[in-house]
Amino acid sequence: MTSPIKWLFLLPAIIYLVALTMFPLAWSLSLAFMDWKLTKASDPQFVGLDNFIRLFTKDARFWSALSFTAFYVTVAAAIELTLGLILAVILASGIKGGRILRVIYIIPLAVPPIGAAFMWRMMLQEDVGIVNAILTFFGIERIRWFTDPWTARIGLIMIDVWQWTPFIFLALLAAIRALPVEPLEAAKVDGASEFKVLQKIIIPLLKPVIVTLVLIRCIDAFKLFDLVYGVTGGGPGLSTESASFYIYLVGRSYFDLGYASAASYIMLIIMMALSITLLWRLRRTW
Amino acid sequence: MEVEENLVSNSRIRVITMQALKKTLLILIFAVFTFWTSFPLIWMIITSIKPRADIYKLDFVPFYQFVPTLEHWRNIIFSDSFQRAFVNGLIVASLSALFALLLGSLAGYGLARFQFQRWKNKDIATWILSQRMLPPVAVLIPFFLFMRFVNLIDTVFGIILAHVVFNLPLSVWLMLDFFKGLPPEVEEASQVDGCSPLQTFFRIALPIALPGMAAVYALCFIFSWNELMFMVALSYDKAYTIPVQVASTLAFQQMEWWNLAVYVTIAVIPPLILTLMFERYIIRALTLGAVKA
Repeated sequence: MTSPIKWLFLLPAIIYLVALTMFPLAWSLSLAFMDWKLTKASDPQFVGLDNFIRLFTKDARFWSALSFTAFYVTVAAAIELTLGLILAVILASGIKGGRILRVIYIIPLAVPPIGAAFMWRMMLQEDVGIVNAILTFFGIERIRWFTDPWTARIGLIMIDVWQWTPFIFLALLAAIRALPVEPLEAAKVDGASEFKVLQKIIIPLLKPVIVTLVLIRCIDAFKLFDLVYGVTGGGPGLSTESASFYIYLVGRSYFDLGYASAASYIMLIIMMALSITLLWRLRRTW
Repeated sequence: MEVEENLVSNSRIRVITMQALKKTLLILIFAVFTFWTSFPLIWMIITSIKPRADIYKLDFVPFYQFVPTLEHWRNIIFSDSFQRAFVNGLIVASLSALFALLLGSLAGYGLARFQFQRWKNKDIATWILSQRMLPPVAVLIPFFLFMRFVNLIDTVFGIILAHVVFNLPLSVWLMLDFFKGLPPEVEEASQVDGCSPLQTFFRIALPIALPGMAAVYALCFIFSWNELMFMVALSYDKAYTIPVQVASTLAFQQMEWWNLAVYVTIAVIPPLILTLMFERYIIRALTLGAVKA
C-alpha cells in the first residue's frame, strides 16, 4: 500500500510534535545565545557564547546541581536494581500469593511523586516523625534528616527507592517468568546449585532486560524535580538542588531566560548519551 | 539396618528443616518489603482521620487508640480550592490523555501498517520516542513564552497542550507496539471488500485495539494527573491542580499535615484505580514494551 492516505495517519502526530517540541527546542537553542531577563523590560540581546562561558567558568551552583543529580541517579538505580533483582529471583523461585503481592507492589507506581514527597516528609520529621520514633525505639539516635546535607540527599534517594524498586522488581519478575525453561531444567538435571543457576544462566539471560530497565530508570531519575520541590526545596543550603530544579529556578523565578536555556541545553546533551543508548536498544528489537 | 535407617531419616529431617528455615527467611524478607512498600500510604490515611490533638502521637489503631474523625475530610472536600483543583485535574488529565491517544493510535497504526520510504518507519518511530526522553525543563521556557504570547497562561487548555507533548510520544510507541501484535489479515480482507484505509482503521482496527487503547489512555491519564513541573510553571491561581496545591503547601514550614494527608489521599485514588485496572499492562508500558508482562 503506497497511497498518500498513509500520511493522514502519521501527519497529525508529527505536526503536533514539530510545532510543540521541535520548534520550542529550536527557540530555546536560539535563546541560549541571548541575554534576556524578563525582570528588566528589555528586548533579548545576542551575546554569543557568553551564557555558556558563564556556565562553564563561573557557575559552581550549576555543576553542583548536575553532580548531585548524577549521584542521585547512580545510587538510586544501583539500589533499586540490586533489591529488585534479589526480590524477583526469590519470588520466582516459588512463593505463593504472587498475585496479591503484585497488586501491593504496583501501588507506589500510581502515587504522584509530589504525594510521595509529602508522605515521606511527614514520616521523616525530626522530632515527631515516625521514622525517628522507630529508630529511637531500637536505641538508635534520631536523625536530623533535612538539616544535614548528606542525610537530606540520602532521604531523597530513599523516596526514589521506595517508589521505583517495585517497578524494577515487577519488571524483572515478568522477565524471569518469560525465560525459556530448557536451560534451567538442563542445569537442574546436571545438579547445579541454585546459586550457580542464578549466576551462570538466569542473570546472563536477563542481562538485556536489566540494561534496558536501568537505562529507563536513569533517564527518568535524571529529570528529578518533584521530590526536590516538595521535600527539601534544594536545601539545606544548595546540597539537594537537582539540575532540573536549578534550571527551573533560573528560568521561572529569576526570569533569566537566556541563561536557563543554555543550562537546559547542557542537561539535554548529557541526557542524550543515555537516551541514544536506550533508543538504539529498543530499535534493535523492532 | 536400624542404624542406617536412622541416618537416612536424620538427614531427611535436616533437609526438611533447612527448607523450612529457608522458606521462613524468604517469607520474612517479603514481609519486610511489603511493610516498607505499603506503610507510607497506610500512615497517611491514618493521619487523615486522626483528631488534630493526636496528630503527633504515634497511635495507629483507629477506634482503639484514637477516635477517628472525618473532620479534615469534610474541611477539604467542601473547600472551593480543593474542588477547583480536583475538577481542573480531571479535565486536564482526561482531555490530554484523549488527545494523546487519538493522535497516538492514528500514528501508531500508520507506522504499523504502511511502509514509509524516505524515512523508514523505524527511524520515524525512534525519532518520536526520543522526545519522551528529553528533559521537560528543556522545553519549559519556550513553552512559558509561547503560552504568554497566546494568552494561555493559567488556562486549563494551555496545560492540556503541554501534557500532550510528553504523553504523545509514549502513546505513539505503545500503540505501534500494540498494532504490530495484531494480525493484519482481517484488515486486508476489508480492504479487498472496498473499504478505504480510513474506514478500515475506524471500523476494523480500532474495535480490536480497544483494550490496548484503554490501557494507553489510563497511562497517559496517570502521567498527566501526577505531573507537577508544567503545572506549576504554567498556572497561577486558576488552572491549578492537586499536585500544585500540595507542592505550594509543602513550601511552608508550618503546615497542616492532617489536611494535606486528605489532599494526597484523594490525589492517589484516580491513578490507583487505573493502575489496578490495568495492572498487567502497566509494567509492559513503563518498560516501553521491552518486558512483555
